[in-house]
Amino acid sequence: MTQLTQGYPLSSLVKEDGEALSFKVHRSAYRSQEVFQEEISKIWGHTWLYLGHETEIPKAGDFKTRTLGGRPLIFCRDSSGEIQVFLNSCTHRGTVLCRHSEGNTKFFQCFYHAWVFSNSGDLSALPGDDAYVDVPEFREAMRLRSVPRVQSHEGFVFIAFDPDVPDLMTHLGKAAHYMSLTARIGPAGMETVPGVQLYSVKGNWKLAVENAMDGYHFAPTHNTFVGYLRETGFAVTDDDQYAYDLGGGHGLLILTGHNGRIGMVWEPRFGEAEKDRTVAKRQEMEDRLGPELAKEIADASRILFVFPNLLLFDLEALTIRQIDPVAADQTSVRAWQFVEVDEPAEVRALRIKTMVSFVGPGGLATPDDIEAYEAVQRGIEATANAADPGFDWSDMSRGMANEQKGNQGRSIDEGAMRSFWRHWAGVVGRD
Amino acid sequence: MDGKKSKESAVGGRTITRHEVEDFLYREASLLDEWRLDEWFTLFEEGGRMEVATTDWKGWDSASAGSFMCDDYDLIKARVKRLKSRKAHAENPHSRTHRMISNVIILEQGDKTVWVSANFIIHRYRDGGAYSYVGRYEHVLLVEDEGLRFRLRRSIPAMEAMDAGARLSFIL
Repeated sequence: MTQLTQGYPLSSLVKEDGEALSFKVHRSAYRSQEVFQEEISKIWGHTWLYLGHETEIPKAGDFKTRTLGGRPLIFCRDSSGEIQVFLNSCTHRGTVLCRHSEGNTKFFQCFYHAWVFSNSGDLSALPGDDAYVDVPEFREAMRLRSVPRVQSHEGFVFIAFDPDVPDLMTHLGKAAHYMSLTARIGPAGMETVPGVQLYSVKGNWKLAVENAMDGYHFAPTHNTFVGYLRETGFAVTDDDQYAYDLGGGHGLLILTGHNGRIGMVWEPRFGEAEKDRTVAKRQEMEDRLGPELAKEIADASRILFVFPNLLLFDLEALTIRQIDPVAADQTSVRAWQFVEVDEPAEVRALRIKTMVSFVGPGGLATPDDIEAYEAVQRGIEATANAADPGFDWSDMSRGMANEQKGNQGRSIDEGAMRSFWRHWAGVVGRD
Repeated sequence: MDGKKSKESAVGGRTITRHEVEDFLYREASLLDEWRLDEWFTLFEEGGRMEVATTDWKGWDSASAGSFMCDDYDLIKARVKRLKSRKAHAENPHSRTHRMISNVIILEQGDKTVWVSANFIIHRYRDGGAYSYVGRYEHVLLVEDEGLRFRLRRSIPAMEAMDAGARLSFIL
């Protein structure tokens, strides 16, 4: 079993005591470079990862480059319209092949020795190929390296660097249903729009997960945002807000008293025109999906976490957030607004304005979340190697008594964080 | 008048000089650096807007693409109120900021407005960290007898992404 310098086996970084109703996480889980390397290997190397949405590359030849778990990748749609995901590295000597962040192309050419690959991965030209023996075989062997597994659910594209992972739908389990709810909001489907929020935080990636699954922080951390909502005529409550363990490390908060939903639950700041449209939109959804499904989609806000790196904020409007670990104390984030295809321009504008006012590093709420987990990252240095090693643990036992009684966990408890950590301990602690 | 090359622009019967635009932008910069946010808010006309584009911006309208900020007048007001609160945790204590504005150009004139661009470098310091924000402003300013006011205040970051720690909890 892998040992840490402090002598804890990795799986012992999470300590649960059912009798004492105590759940603790050792703070080296956020600080330690060794833990980080174990995560890159055991989670990012062997689990399905959220890469991007198919609508980011709508046309043949469209591509985006991005890094995931430290590996540069090309996410593209080839000339026949198929989604391809390649390691962004020339098969010759390893140069980053595509150095643009996005574009449209039939070919990727390495600038170093001018090898040319098609957007379906074939090595289509290499200067001086007469100097290689068995040229056709050589070309075949030098195809672009595809990521071993690529599968989509409702347009959400996931990849795995391990060819032996179970199928995507097995991995997603119960989380797949909640992704489908989101995908059915628009009669013509959903799409990402350009204008991606790219930012990094000085905090461990797991703090970003915890923060999203932690309803307890909402009122104190977002006091100013809650105040703004009240002033616009919408009262926020934490009644009927629950947390669900979806298994596999995935988590869900279902929030009914949290906020309005554009086209589904009206609130005054959306304006009078949107009030009428909400009635029509609800009817459209009922006609198309049936009353039960329409109700499930429309009546509650949801924050879905798909282990390990996708967060779907289905709130006033929708945001897809992807988290990517850079170092033990640094995380990159990419966030897309997710909108109804062909919705009226004024609704699109309202949707974007409303979501951006809340989420993202320039919103009225997310900066306080970032402040919180960056402050955790700084603060937990205080107890590293403390005289009393008992100080160096974070507590996540809120609501455990209720959990043991079998009651549905509240979003203002820490149950969703516990289910994440139990799964994490199983994956990272496994040798 | 040939917009791009002009130093001044005749709007509503009076002449706007680059000097006047620079004074307006410098005054704005000092109000923000000194956290005099109520005074800063008076620089907007009623119904004015503020936008901060994302780092992948290619000229998109903030009504059809994501952005870092796209505040209507009410949201700017809410933002000022929030930033003055001690419960705006991301800015309590406040960041120290230091703004440099340059390359001011009058781009175009309308009947009541003037379009200007300018470059900015904003240094921000907080919690022992130092962050630089580099970019360009593209503003639409309402010309009034007594001075200029923002109809649209738009910041366009030049960076590839907001670096670690470089959130936008202040006014860019």
